[in-house]
Amino acid sequence: MAEVLANGLRFHVQRIGAGPSPVVFIHGLVMDNLSSWYFAAATQVAREVPVLLWDLRGHGRTERPQSGYTVPQMVADLAAVLDAAAVEGPVHLVGNSFGGLLALAFAMAHPERTASLVLVDAHLSDAGFGAEMAGTLGLEGEARDQKIAESFKDWLGRHSERKRNRLAESASALVYGTTLVADLQASELFDDAALRAMDAPALLLYGEKSDILHRGERLAATLPRAELRVVAGATHSVIWEATDTVRDAIIEWAKEHR
Amino acid sequence: MTVNRDETLAQVADIIREVIGEAWVDETPIGMETSFSDDLELESIEFVALAERLQENYGDSVDFVGWLSQKSLDDIIALRVGELVEHILECAKG
Repeated sequence: MAEVLANGLRFHVQRIGAGPSPVVFIHGLVMDNLSSWYFAAATQVAREVPVLLWDLRGHGRTERPQSGYTVPQMVADLAAVLDAAAVEGPVHLVGNSFGGLLALAFAMAHPERTASLVLVDAHLSDAGFGAEMAGTLGLEGEARDQKIAESFKDWLGRHSERKRNRLAESASALVYGTTLVADLQASELFDDAALRAMDAPALLLYGEKSDILHRGERLAATLPRAELRVVAGATHSVIWEATDTVRDAIIEWAKEHR
Repeated sequence: MTVNRDETLAQVADIIREVIGEAWVDETPIGMETSFSDDLELESIEFVALAERLQENYGDSVDFVGWLSQKSLDDIIALRVGELVEHILECAKG
């Protein structure tokens, strides 16, 4: 398996194509891993520009430590993964859901390493965020299994017994066996001044019916170089409900900004 | 590289079993008609690992990622082992 050692952990990384300033894909929380972006967009984007995908700590095929799930720590993970993979030049970050929040946090911490951002129904660390995460992730028993079934849209997302069990197992291990929920609840809020100071151009793709469209609107109002595109009919799962639209937008963006 | 269909199928089946890495798959027959999703219940992260292992095994002569990039999500969900085997055989012909 392709892996790099970063911050003392083995991270699962997939690179497609060689060269500086790759598009770096960042997946969402708990019920997600790099395969979502791999199948939704990365193999096609890689025809135009080099691509890097990685599994966040505790997710997919990366190691699952007991702690270290704060936003700054995960930003440090990405910086260390890029170093370990010897990535040259500023990167184009593409993040879905919580992956979008991480992309933004990385861009604020490392402006010199960030060429551009594509944020797909990205979360923001705002007043409601910690409580929402705890509410969703802190569920137990049947309610949790239901949530996993609803929110996990695998490309092979049929709810077979084997996959359901494995997903539930790995979600439980992450939610109950690590400090993830507490770490996220303690996330520092993004303030408008920091968002207004962002240099990198950003494309914001949000579902018209997404419950977090307000976060896209706040970003559009604060980021100096942002373009908000609302995808008709889509919810928070815009990556699966409008896969072609999202993929084509990323390809167009990558060609324009390379 | 072998260009024999049965041998290629056997190689691919071995790699699939290695990627899934669970006892039940050792007793599961894998043929040209076996579906990755319905029959093997492969998770998408396992499919990424499979593509990587195949690339290691067959080297630059077979472009798995490029081949996948030409398929829609629906095509990939419906993918059968035989399609993968045929792709490898096509590439071997050059």
